[in-house]
Amino acid sequence: MSYVHFPVIAVMSLFLGAFVCAIFGKNHDKLCKAVGVLDAAWVFALIALIVKPVVFDGEIISYWMGNWSPIKGWAIGIGYEIDALGAFFALIVVFTVLMSVIYSIRYMDRDDDIYNYYTLLLMMSGSVLGLVLTGDVFNMFIMIEIMTFTAVGLTCFRNRSFGALEAGFKYLVIGSMGSSMTLLGIALLYAQCHTLNMAQLASILVNNTTPTSVLALALMFTGLGVKAYIVPFHMPAADSYAVAPTSVSMVFSGMVNKAGVYAIIRLVYILFNTMDKGSMQVLLTAFGAVTMFVGVTMALAQHDFKRLLAFHSISQIGYVITAIGLGSALGVTAGLFHALNHTLFKGLLFLCAGAVLYATGTTNLDKLGGLSKKMPKTTICFLVGAFSIAGMPPFNGFASKWMVYQAAFEKAVEGGHIYFAFITVVAVVVSVMTLASFIKVTQAVFFGQCPIELQKTEEVPFSMRLPMWIMSALCLLVGVFYDFVNKWFLAPATNAVLNATNYIDKMMGNGYAAAAGVENIQVAPAAFSFWNPLTWLVLFVVVFAAVAIVILTGKKSRGAVLETAENVDGKYATFFGGEASPFSHVSGSDLFWGFKKDWKGYFSFMDNLHSGIVNDYALWVVVALAIVTVWFNVFMK
Amino acid sequence: MMTVNYVASAILVVMGLYTIINDKNLIKVVLGLGIVDYGVNLFIVSVGYNMGGTAPIFSISDIMANSVLFGNGGAFFVDPVPQALTLTSIVIGACVDAMALSLVVKLYQQYKTTNTDEIRRLRG
Amino acid sequence: MKMKDGIKTKNIIVKCGADSMLPFAIIFGMVVILFGSVSPGGGFQGGVCVAAAAIMIYLGYGTKTAKEAINMECIRVNEGIGAVIYVVLALIAVFMGANFCFNTLKFGQIGDMLAGGTITFMSYAVGYKVLTGVGFLLLMMLGMLGANDEEEEEE
Repeated sequence: MSYVHFPVIAVMSLFLGAFVCAIFGKNHDKLCKAVGVLDAAWVFALIALIVKPVVFDGEIISYWMGNWSPIKGWAIGIGYEIDALGAFFALIVVFTVLMSVIYSIRYMDRDDDIYNYYTLLLMMSGSVLGLVLTGDVFNMFIMIEIMTFTAVGLTCFRNRSFGALEAGFKYLVIGSMGSSMTLLGIALLYAQCHTLNMAQLASILVNNTTPTSVLALALMFTGLGVKAYIVPFHMPAADSYAVAPTSVSMVFSGMVNKAGVYAIIRLVYILFNTMDKGSMQVLLTAFGAVTMFVGVTMALAQHDFKRLLAFHSISQIGYVITAIGLGSALGVTAGLFHALNHTLFKGLLFLCAGAVLYATGTTNLDKLGGLSKKMPKTTICFLVGAFSIAGMPPFNGFASKWMVYQAAFEKAVEGGHIYFAFITVVAVVVSVMTLASFIKVTQAVFFGQCPIELQKTEEVPFSMRLPMWIMSALCLLVGVFYDFVNKWFLAPATNAVLNATNYIDKMMGNGYAAAAGVENIQVAPAAFSFWNPLTWLVLFVVVFAAVAIVILTGKKSRGAVLETAENVDGKYATFFGGEASPFSHVSGSDLFWGFKKDWKGYFSFMDNLHSGIVNDYALWVVVALAIVTVWFNVFMK
Repeated sequence: MMTVNYVASAILVVMGLYTIINDKNLIKVVLGLGIVDYGVNLFIVSVGYNMGGTAPIFSISDIMANSVLFGNGGAFFVDPVPQALTLTSIVIGACVDAMALSLVVKLYQQYKTTNTDEIRRLRG
Repeated sequence: MKMKDGIKTKNIIVKCGADSMLPFAIIFGMVVILFGSVSPGGGFQGGVCVAAAAIMIYLGYGTKTAKEAINMECIRVNEGIGAVIYVVLALIAVFMGANFCFNTLKFGQIGDMLAGGTITFMSYAVGYKVLTGVGFLLLMMLGMLGANDEEEEEE
């Protein structure tokens, strides 16, 4: 059997595994666990086998369901098309699933009705895998819908825990609004082009920018943005990451929002081929920058371990969106690299949070502390993850963040735009804040004093530590051997993103793209240097400026607090009052209370935005749709 | 000719979005989702409709000679693809409604209310 | 449809109507499934028709009888079986050397019930899945309503 069948067999294996769990799994927990692990390992092997021909050798697999190949240059069947980009994301997906099912073996011990969990998890993985491998827009929509449903089911899985149902309902409302918008966009595309095949749509749309296609782009961009959880669609994501079982939170952050990112890349680079337009670059980078900033500042204010990680996850997706929005080869490479690294380090951090939850029964930062002596191995893994996400040099986060800064800075220098320089500064400042926030988590959970209730905490079992070790090792290896990863994985994927003609020609026949007038955006290989002293100097100046701003703005208002006793919050008054305070220990989650106090206006504003009312969240989706539509209608013609 | 359908679908979508944004009752929010879905479905099925068209059962040569797809005049049959899409989308819409309504039942059992203003434990 | 004044049965007209229409509903649904590949209809539509029969039992006899008459666990398992049959039918083609979903089981004349080949059996698999799936869904939701009714009566 040739490898062209592997992608479809992989997708169907995951679905079959889900059905087997549903049929035989009730009261047979071990069977479900075995099916889950074996299925995920089998699918991982299948996808690993297609990596060599597709990613390393640069071949593109086109696969027509039921042998319905195009007739006279007109696609009539559903087709799978796997290029290096799809295979790259497929590898991320299957890796995440494998780690998650291994972790679930012990983690889900204390829940009942495990078969539902495995059914939903395998079905969700199958749908995401189908989404990244398909070459048909409507098939993509179906996969998105399956993904949304199963994600809601998994969010509500522990439906007696705090807020699980609520998070699921909000996720469902916002998610299906996004799906409806995507579907409307697809219908508009069909009305204009009479086809649903992505390759053919790309060749038709390239020289036919009509009001219909612009509206379709706006609708699909918003709908897929909801799936990638970029701000302002991120609120249900933060809720659902926080309340879902942790093995699922890891899958959400590792592959579900990657699916949205993948779909956006496909949409803007291949389907509409619009990334050479300045307006599109500005829009995407603006969304990315806002996502980064809002995510990280919200994370600073959190008191729950998993919710904090959820906001960081949103913030890191902002980096990815910013990088792919730059439209240059280096930008795309940086975006893909950061997407890969985000899967590794964020998955690792979520698994550590799950280990803490498993061992102690809580994720509240105020109740945790001093676990480093009780759980030394988990602590080491967590530190690796924290260093990676904060961008410490030997780990992978540094390499990809450096590439993002460099891509944005290069864009600013090339075009002389002050805007992209500003984006670079935002990215660096966000990185600083990420580090700050992880100092807070580390101090609150693993160091400091250990509460009496947690004295009997024990290390988690080996099967839970195994995925954590694997991911820690990968964090380090990818960071050290970034050149290897770039050469073998990122460069082919970037090439696939920027060369739409190959994608179209393979699917529809040679010369099809040239006849339609599709041109490659650019084929220059991504060149980047990590140790350029000038750029380092700029980095340090920027970091210094950021620190100076924080210090200077802090001083002023701290003085104000001291002078007027009337407006001092009672909580902080105990620090400066004459009488002895009953308890002066600053709890871990309040490490940055001074910062929060200084930026009180901003934080209360953000608090009001994340109001928890589903109507408000829906309003944000509609507002964003309106902004995107107006933007495209004004600038895209 | 088909303008009425397009206008109606636009009105349905806007009505649905307005319901989701404006109504504070969980069940009405779910109804809003349903209305948006119906608007989209009406749009898709209108896209493929041909006034006076016949059922799409022809040999491939007939279609090639007469279809707009291959550059030969207008289509003489009703496009079956949007109908298939609509059917799929209706099924998905039904599933959304069923799932959302069962969540509403569960939420009511936990929170003893269906007011969205009071279902906001997760915020900030 | 509340029971009044201690009468333990539903309205006789509703009950008789449900009794007489139930076989027709099921047979009609089955016909739509079986001839789905050669006539309008198909697995999904027929499946929903059959599943709607469950509502008829509910209307005629109430939640309790409907729950006793139908084995929910069995329905849940059979839904999975329907899905597995579909995937296996589609995968047969891969093991015979063609692409996924290829029409491998070709037999029958044009216009026959089985002329569609694989498509026919896929349609049956979809019908089986939908009638169990939608039936399960409806019974679950009616079961929720029933639970609320019983609580009210106890109060």
